[in-house]
Amino acid sequence: MSDSSAFSGIALPSPTLSARLGDVAAHLAAPLTDRLTEEQRALTLGIARRLVGEAAAALGVRIDPAALWHDWLVQGLPGAERLAAPCFARAEEHRWRALPALHRDTSSPADGVSDTDAADAPPAAPQAPLAPVDKAYLDLTIADRRRFDALGNPCIAVADLDPEIYRALLDDVVEWQAHAGVDTNAVAELDDAACAAAARQASESGIDAAAAAYHTALVAEGALSDAAAAAAMRHDWPALIGLAAAAHRRPYGEMALALVSAEAAALPPLLAPLRIDRGAIAPIEASLARVPARALAGAPEGEG
Amino acid sequence: MSERIVRGRVDRSGALVGGDAPLLRLQQRAGGGLNRPLALPHLARLVALAQRLQRDVSRPLHAADDHSDIFALVRILPDADGASLEISDWRARPTAEPQGPAIADAVEPQGWAWECDQHLRMVALRAGVEAPAIPGGWAGHSLSELFELQPDGDGRFPVLRALARQAPFADQRVRVEGEDGPLAMHLSGEALFDATGRFTGFRGIATPDEGAAADAAAPARVDPAFGSLPLSDPQFGRRIDGALRGPLSRIIATAETISGQFDGPIRADYARYAGDIAHAGRHLLGLVDDLADLQNIERPGFRAARDEIDLGDLARRAVGLLGMKAEEKGIRIDAPRLDDKAPAWGEFRRVLQVLLNLLGNAIRYSPENSQIWIRVDREGDRATVTVADQGQGIATDQQDMVFEKFERLGRTDSGGSGLGLYIARRLARAMGGDLTIDSAPGQGARFTLSLPARD
Repeated sequence: MSDSSAFSGIALPSPTLSARLGDVAAHLAAPLTDRLTEEQRALTLGIARRLVGEAAAALGVRIDPAALWHDWLVQGLPGAERLAAPCFARAEEHRWRALPALHRDTSSPADGVSDTDAADAPPAAPQAPLAPVDKAYLDLTIADRRRFDALGNPCIAVADLDPEIYRALLDDVVEWQAHAGVDTNAVAELDDAACAAAARQASESGIDAAAAAYHTALVAEGALSDAAAAAAMRHDWPALIGLAAAAHRRPYGEMALALVSAEAAALPPLLAPLRIDRGAIAPIEASLARVPARALAGAPEGEG
Repeated sequence: MSERIVRGRVDRSGALVGGDAPLLRLQQRAGGGLNRPLALPHLARLVALAQRLQRDVSRPLHAADDHSDIFALVRILPDADGASLEISDWRARPTAEPQGPAIADAVEPQGWAWECDQHLRMVALRAGVEAPAIPGGWAGHSLSELFELQPDGDGRFPVLRALARQAPFADQRVRVEGEDGPLAMHLSGEALFDATGRFTGFRGIATPDEGAAADAAAPARVDPAFGSLPLSDPQFGRRIDGALRGPLSRIIATAETISGQFDGPIRADYARYAGDIAHAGRHLLGLVDDLADLQNIERPGFRAARDEIDLGDLARRAVGLLGMKAEEKGIRIDAPRLDDKAPAWGEFRRVLQVLLNLLGNAIRYSPENSQIWIRVDREGDRATVTVADQGQGIATDQQDMVFEKFERLGRTDSGGSGLGLYIARRLARAMGGDLTIDSAPGQGARFTLSLPARD
């Protein structure tokens, strides 16, 4: 939503015009770069909608999420700049993970997986105490699956959202409700609810904490590189992203976007802290190469 | 279950030198071809294993081509020139996302979407917009702890069978303690695999069972496992089955894990104790299986399916499954040759069950380094299969007793429940056949299963 300085002094008449001028400005800034595909737009918008719905639900039953979203669709999302990065990162990660495993590497099948694996190995007793690494991996998996709704659509778990962004979103929802004509007392209650929701979020543990715990457990066992290589081989992208994020001490979403927008040459340094060899990076590179319309830093034509 | 067998032939170098069309197509789509090395890595490894051991190998098979995943059972028969392949229960499903979310395209607004890992630990549970609230504290817990599994009409648990076969399942009836009281639901799920073909769990949906809602909402029974059901109620046996099978499976799995020292070396005597526990657990599980079978076949209206079967083929399958157990005692099994056929009518899995019982008994009660013969034949309108051993034999006056419930002729070892032959004969008769014995002390025993012959 860039300001249009060429029209200084004239208020832009609509969010639509503002957005289009923003597109034009972005286009002029990088004319050779592909724009968002329809799939990317739809995914990002859907993720934002679900996040707004979560925020509204966190404030209580007074908020009508459908009316809220409708209004924001027409008027534009307040704080769109804040929401753009996490929503886009989640969408791009989802596009990567949603690739069907059409081209399994049958030439090097399941290295390390013996004849008896899967088919014959006795299942571990579910109630047996889990080893720290296994427990951490289970927690990471659970944290990851919280990033989908009941229909399997990608979303952002509130626990994973930057606290400032979440608080700002809550405030935006409260402000929308205030403009909808509720009385002062109700707005005050909503403010209190927003504070409570923000406090709840602060007490929640999301995928960043789960990834860090998994990383720590693997390092303690000296199994980091093996686990990362196995994750790559199995296309277990949440584990790989989580480990890389923890190793770089970056948020999960940020690392997901870094990987999905990385050129081949940029992958080794990104994954260097995981100490996996070049061969283990090959499946990651091959998988990323199949993601259409990636936002590659050095490929203005895109990768279609 | 009448099954089509897909056959193939591999030479000593591991090249596929012949086979039925489905196998050849799969080989081709996987990048191989005729007279080229097997391009299906899992199958290739199993063939290599069978050739190395020079022993029949029967295992689940997983393969994938460019648009579907294949699940099947494969039997590999090695010989001097290579190996023969027999692939049955061939099922294909479209390739799924390797690390997909708890997607449930068909999730109803009143249903839940769920996902668990390969150890049935819950990793996702989400409610549809109109669904009952999900219970708290599900994360990481066992699916069978969250959902009380109910057996189907045959006393089986679809989800556990699916786990063993790493296959999709449907219609697993469950009860669950919801936030607002007990709920009856149906679980269905699809098996998940990662990019290496490793089974990683299930994901699926849970839909409310409206018909059973009233029952679920009934006052809680005294005991969660058996309740106040009378002994004569068929539900009693099913509930015993449900209540015992899970804990016993966990005992066996844990004991085998310890015995096999999968988590690291331990003292040899401890490993042996764990092996004893696993053995005892398997015995108890066998007893539970027998009790479930017993209740099933004794209920009014029990009927076996009428499949087109070949007793020769089924006998060879039974040998494939128990061959290693016989070898442990140095027992040689003289099985029907590949061209020995005895077409018959009967339920595929029930006949296999009977044969496994007969062959298992023969192995159990035969002396070491002895021989067991299995012969198929046709007598008029009857197709027969006979299992003969060199055991101590059974006196004439005791021969009818072996078919009685819980009759073990004074044996006190942990070998069996005393129900196997009773069940086997009931099954044989339910299929229009019979199970008879011919024996004398010191001369071994010959059990003959006869079924209606098929032209």
